[in-house]
Amino acid sequence: MPDGRYSAEVLSRVREPQRVGTLPAGPGVGAGESGTLAHGTLIRISVRVDKDRVVEARFKAFGCSAAIASASLVAEWLEHTPLVEAAGLTPERVVQRLHLAPEREDVARMAVAAALGAIANAAEATSEK
Amino acid sequence: MIYLDHHATTPVDARVLEAMLPFFSEKFGNAASRQHAFGWAASDAVERARKQVAVLIGAGSKDVIFTSGATEANNLAIKGAAKARQGASTSAGTAARNHLVTVTTEHQAVLDPMLRLAREGWDVTVLPVNAAGLLDLAALEGAITARTALVSVMAANNEIGVVQPIKDAAALAHAKGAWFHTDAVQVAGKLPFDVEALDVDFASLTAHKMYGPKGVGALYVRRKGRAVAAVAEIDGGGHERGLRSGTLNVPGIVGFGRAAAIARDELPAEAARARALRQRLLDGLAAKTEGMTVNGSLDARLPGNLNVSFAGIDGEALLVSLDDIAVSSGAACTAAEPSHVLMALGLSKDRALASLRFGIGRTTTADEIDYAAAKVSDVVARLRQMSPLQSA
Repeated sequence: MPDGRYSAEVLSRVREPQRVGTLPAGPGVGAGESGTLAHGTLIRISVRVDKDRVVEARFKAFGCSAAIASASLVAEWLEHTPLVEAAGLTPERVVQRLHLAPEREDVARMAVAAALGAIANAAEATSEK
Repeated sequence: MIYLDHHATTPVDARVLEAMLPFFSEKFGNAASRQHAFGWAASDAVERARKQVAVLIGAGSKDVIFTSGATEANNLAIKGAAKARQGASTSAGTAARNHLVTVTTEHQAVLDPMLRLAREGWDVTVLPVNAAGLLDLAALEGAITARTALVSVMAANNEIGVVQPIKDAAALAHAKGAWFHTDAVQVAGKLPFDVEALDVDFASLTAHKMYGPKGVGALYVRRKGRAVAAVAEIDGGGHERGLRSGTLNVPGIVGFGRAAAIARDELPAEAARARALRQRLLDGLAAKTEGMTVNGSLDARLPGNLNVSFAGIDGEALLVSLDDIAVSSGAACTAAEPSHVLMALGLSKDRALASLRFGIGRTTTADEIDYAAAKVSDVVARLRQMSPLQSA
């Protein structure tokens, strides 16, 4: 068992994942994606934005434990977060919180890219109306 | 925690431990001390164990050389036989025997010694296997020449449990004057394995795969019917017919002997029980999990082995999720590199990584099998549900 390579938080996020899913299309809903299946990691984040904050966030992830945990953490952070704060989300914060090994930093970057993409997408969807 | 990794190692049987204990502090003599009772007691115990190991594989006692394990036995057989034949003329009396043949699905303890010999100038042929994991005998026949010194084919694979046609492979080697070695670590004590019936020249064994202690193994070296030889890797006292010097690990050897005797006595019943549990596991998994494939032949296989791959999930996440089942994964240890055995069957890298090896053993119960089947099915379903490829 490769438990020794991961923090307790990564393990619990993989074994008992929260906020798994995709938000149905609707007002203020946007989705962002990062990675490719061909490279072994694909993370999708969807958010629902109401006024100036994210009110709901969900994730889907294909990949290793670090990818699943990063996507799950990012979704948790986004929920109920003002947009101005969400914009400050960085891969470094994910790496630090989950104690990811340096070679796993790329999946933290993907999770953050998917999250920021989702927020931008939600903003576009809102402004187009 | 449920232990289903009996191909990696097995617990020491209580009967084995009991047999070993007196040889640590009470009967602690050196088996090479010929002048006093301590030495005689140790030597007698070693010879009794040698007989027990020999009987398990249908050998004579003197054919069994104790080593530190199967890796050492493989090294001794492969490098030792190669050195013994170096420069030896062929039956045609011309070129030297400077060629070795093995199979791509062998354990690293065979492949690495072969690789070293290749670097030293030996010509090494590594044969592929088919999708079922079986060696193609026609390809083997084509690969063996009058220059072939040794052919090494494992009896049963440590990952997929596939049992190779050893008797036929040995006959092909002998037809061209080559010697034949088999890594019999996984098969010994699990299925009948008889060095005479199979006509092998060298066979590697280890105690810890058959409920004996770690750190002790053996190399069978044929003494009758065919003049084979190996050059020692370790010199210093001429122990073990000069093939493996060093003070003998008496408690370990005693444990190995007892483990071999128990394995032999219980083999028919235990093989049938393991086979039934394997079927129960396969049925349990197949009932709840789509997109699952069995890796390697189900027919030519160790009774306690199941190796399966799952479509659409990451192997590492699968293993991390199985928090209370000890199994081995195609993704274990070397995170990004898939198993060379599964890749040899033609699996994609993803499938090879998303694989699990179950090793059913003597202590495994039907309840454990049912729990494992349910848990794996649940985790696979959860990981798939988490995947962006699945909607909702």
